[in-house]
Amino acid sequence: MVLILAGRLVSLVALIILVGAILYYIQRAMSGKIPKLRRLPAVDVIQEIVGRCVEMGRPVWYLFGSTDMTTPSILAPTVAAFQTLSYTARIAARLGAKLFVPLNQGLAYTMASDIVREAYVAENKLEDFDPLKTVMYLPSGADRMYIINHMWEEQVAGAFFLGSWYHEAVIYTENAAREGAVMLGGTDTTHNIPFLVAICDYSVIGEELYALGAYVSQDALQSSSLAGQDIGKYLAIIAILIGAILVTAGISLTEFFKLGW
Amino acid sequence: MSDRLTKISLPIWLTAIFGILMIIEFFFSVPQIVTDTNVKLRSWVTIVSAAALILGTFILTIAHVKRAYERKPGWYYSLIYIGAFAVAGALGLISVRETNFMWIFNNMTSPIGAALYSLTAFTITSAAFRVFRARNWKASVMLVCGFIVLMMLLPVGGAIFPPIVPIGEWIRSFPSSAGFRGMIIGISLGTIGLGVRIFLGRQKEHLGIREEKKEAS
Repeated sequence: MVLILAGRLVSLVALIILVGAILYYIQRAMSGKIPKLRRLPAVDVIQEIVGRCVEMGRPVWYLFGSTDMTTPSILAPTVAAFQTLSYTARIAARLGAKLFVPLNQGLAYTMASDIVREAYVAENKLEDFDPLKTVMYLPSGADRMYIINHMWEEQVAGAFFLGSWYHEAVIYTENAAREGAVMLGGTDTTHNIPFLVAICDYSVIGEELYALGAYVSQDALQSSSLAGQDIGKYLAIIAILIGAILVTAGISLTEFFKLGW
Repeated sequence: MSDRLTKISLPIWLTAIFGILMIIEFFFSVPQIVTDTNVKLRSWVTIVSAAALILGTFILTIAHVKRAYERKPGWYYSLIYIGAFAVAGALGLISVRETNFMWIFNNMTSPIGAALYSLTAFTITSAAFRVFRARNWKASVMLVCGFIVLMMLLPVGGAIFPPIVPIGEWIRSFPSSAGFRGMIIGISLGTIGLGVRIFLGRQKEHLGIREEKKEAS
């Protein structure tokens, strides 16, 4: 019996190297050797946006985009956005900002509701958390009209667009921009990254969405894992360079991969 | 069982065990029992999602009933929701394939959804107007590339200036797809990193848990 399925050996080796590198850096951090990491500007922006909303007496919104957690490609960015929601909700509770988190899927709604509630509990501001209003379930489809309408009605002053974003990204960000809201956007949906980067005042691009949660956690062990991810980037760069040289030299790699590695 | 075990340790262990089971099934030739278990686990996800949907709908209905009862601004919209929910819910309970229920879906829900989707065209236009301004050299590059690709896609572009078609295709095939591939590599690495942190129980905010950390980054 073949132990490893055909065509998955290379992926398995890459995964082992990457996971090994991440575990190595976490282990190093546990022994006190913290790697130096570039600080994401978005981390400071979160507090700035929430603070602006408090000063203006207007609400801050945290939007997720698609949240169907049974779809793997949506699950990962949604979970990543949950990490940042926890931090944002805590700042909102601390500063007394009016936070609003609309979601269009039941499972994500229950999770977000728990996260925001815990954040308010942690800041001893549970009385400011409204279980019916702070986090709201809006059925998919109906959510668009509600969000656009309330963006104008409540004059949203700050908004976060993090998670898995599709066409709604343009609709919501454009309406929020017209309302004068300061926005932080980030998604891993490649065809919508340009829209969020172009329209939002601040943005996290692709993998920074995943890194943001680790940064805001203020846990040295979590942020150390990002150094492990960088090993993967170096390997990818080396692989791209080798591939480019071989293809330029007329050496095809197609036959190599046809071996079922 | 202690509060910590049920709220923190158990969810983290379950996440790690089930996650590793899925990874093993993807890479290795596993006994049928592992595949069957994974199929069952994936079905559970659907069932849990459906249960959460019921909870969400229940809370939304409570919110609307409360708003209508307290006569808060826009309370009449809540009445419309309650009426629509009652009618669609009752017809759905009789049978989802029942003609009246499907009529509501095909003639109301579906067209309203399509109408909302069409808003994208207008917002993209105004967003493009906001974005495509030559404020600096980077924005100018984007403006030029956007214009070339737009002209390539329009029949009139090729008719006026035929070389614009291969130039536009080159932009889409090489610089654009190279950039996207770079993003995809980064995103994949980020996803793996997130997975490892979750499996190790280092990142657990998604479970509604936020413990105070002693270390500072």
